Amino acid sequence: MVERSVVSMSKDFSLHVEHVTRVEGHGNIQVNVKNGEIEKVEWRVVEAPRFFEAMLRGQNYNELRPITSRICGICSIGHSLASLKATEDALGVHITEQTAILRRLAINAENMQSHILHIGYLAAPDLFGVGSVFPLIGTKHTDVVLTIVKLHRLANEMSDLICGRTIHPIRLVVGGFSMVPTEKQLLHLRQRLEEARAITRTVAEVLHGVADKLPNFTRETEYIALSIDDEYALYQGDINSTDTGKHPEYKNYQSIMNEYVVQQSTAKYAKHARDSYMVGALARFNLNSKELHPAAKEVAAMFGLKPINTNPFMNTIAQLVEFAHNIEDSLHWIDVLLENGMKDEKPVKVKPKAGHGVGIVEVPRGILVHDYTLNSKGYCTKANCVIPTNQNHANIQKDMEKLVPEILDKPEKEIELTLEMLVRAYDPCISCSTHYLDVTFV
Amino acid sequence: MKKIGIIGIGNPLRKDDGVGIILLKRLQQRKKEFPKNLEFIDGGTGGMNVLHLLARFKMVLIVDAVDFHGQPGEARSFTLKDIQSKKAQVQLSTHESDFLNVLRLSKKLKELPQTLVIFGVQPRDISHGMGLSKEIELVLDDLCIKLQKEIQTLVK
Repeated sequence: MVERSVVSMSKDFSLHVEHVTRVEGHGNIQVNVKNGEIEKVEWRVVEAPRFFEAMLRGQNYNELRPITSRICGICSIGHSLASLKATEDALGVHITEQTAILRRLAINAENMQSHILHIGYLAAPDLFGVGSVFPLIGTKHTDVVLTIVKLHRLANEMSDLICGRTIHPIRLVVGGFSMVPTEKQLLHLRQRLEEARAITRTVAEVLHGVADKLPNFTRETEYIALSIDDEYALYQGDINSTDTGKHPEYKNYQSIMNEYVVQQSTAKYAKHARDSYMVGALARFNLNSKELHPAAKEVAAMFGLKPINTNPFMNTIAQLVEFAHNIEDSLHWIDVLLENGMKDEKPVKVKPKAGHGVGIVEVPRGILVHDYTLNSKGYCTKANCVIPTNQNHANIQKDMEKLVPEILDKPEKEIELTLEMLVRAYDPCISCSTHYLDVTFV
Repeated sequence: MKKIGIIGIGNPLRKDDGVGIILLKRLQQRKKEFPKNLEFIDGGTGGMNVLHLLARFKMVLIVDAVDFHGQPGEARSFTLKDIQSKKAQVQLSTHESDFLNVLRLSKKLKELPQTLVIFGVQPRDISHGMGLSKEIELVLDDLCIKLQKEIQTLVK
């Protein structure tokens, strides 16, 4: 249900957006202004927690991946990979080179799927001044909508091929893959990705034509993402911060991601060196842009995107840059697979044992951690998942606090739209983030 | 590529809205009685995924809860023309605008199947909750027979 009310008097107004549309899940915005003074600016997450960590307790190590996949319909591949890495870390399992490459293709497929959906269906309508992508059909922008649909379909089909399903993968298992694609299938995918190269450029050009609609707002903050030498880190790397540098002790992730509870939100907030930090495409770009493929660097240059960019609205553009990179990176890894020759490998055999493992990957919305403790029979006794959107909530709040005074002289409708656009720029996955909450009953 | 897609649409968490999915599952259990060029698909609550599904078939039969002001459990078949006509007063339960937009987009992409039939079942209650209304539960077998006939017409 969408309910909006903007009440205005000379210097007083209250703005209440319930719920912000074109995001995953439910979040509200509340702004109160009295006598021209801002009384309240709040980003509120109102969804019920889902207790996934509690569901994992008592489950066999083989079940952790399929269960956590269901945390998110958009990032099911990312959750699967974080889960597998954590499980394999706890059990001391070493995967083959072919598995590592196929997992990189899987993560690229998901990044492409999610990014093009956000850029095309969720963010672009704001730039074209329409409520959704559908009114653009039949206008001069028809072609770009059709292009976006084609790119989205390609990313879906790539997920189907590598993971066995568009969402909630079935081929990703502990120790490897239950089924691998054939060389013929990979060659066909290669051809499709090459075709996508050119049309991605078209999408970039069209978006460039309306990029001036992105608010010119900046706020310095900390950016956190995985980083690794000679690779644009998605599948592996060390936790890296624009404030404090690399933190190779991956099991010590909680010293970086300090989660805390606030009154207005059912999702936890997080902070590290400052009051808030940002994760996601812009954070990755700010930390790792030199590792991008030249084709992606060209897209960044087109929009004047340089590190360190402190405009959160540019996250959507950073996603487009990553999309171009994912295509090139996938082509590279397909070539490596074809050169090596596809082997019909079975997953590495696993012996259940007690252990503690942490798996960290970059998913479309940012850095994701799964942390499992297993008993000697391989059953989970403790679990923790730190979700990207969780880590962004505090940053959204801090952005709003700086942004509202800067646009207070604008018409209320414009203030409302700008704040909604800010939330959308983070591409939040709110349902995922409302995973855990300490409730004290008095 | 299979030529005929039987796509169930609906949300089983919204009571009668889930009738399309429930009928699809019943048909799936009797898969062997149908020709091999038929593919049964759970289309969930529709949305953009249906767009990608439509592109794969020359003929599509969509099974969905449709409010055409009939008796609960009554079934009617509609073509694309019928649902676009305002006179028909057809409401595709919880996913109407979404679904029509998807059809429009599919047409623009030149991907719309040559034949598209919507097998609509009149719901009584689409509030939150699981399970069908009694009126619909009682006629599920009849609906399956009607659907089978519909499929036979398509296959011919």
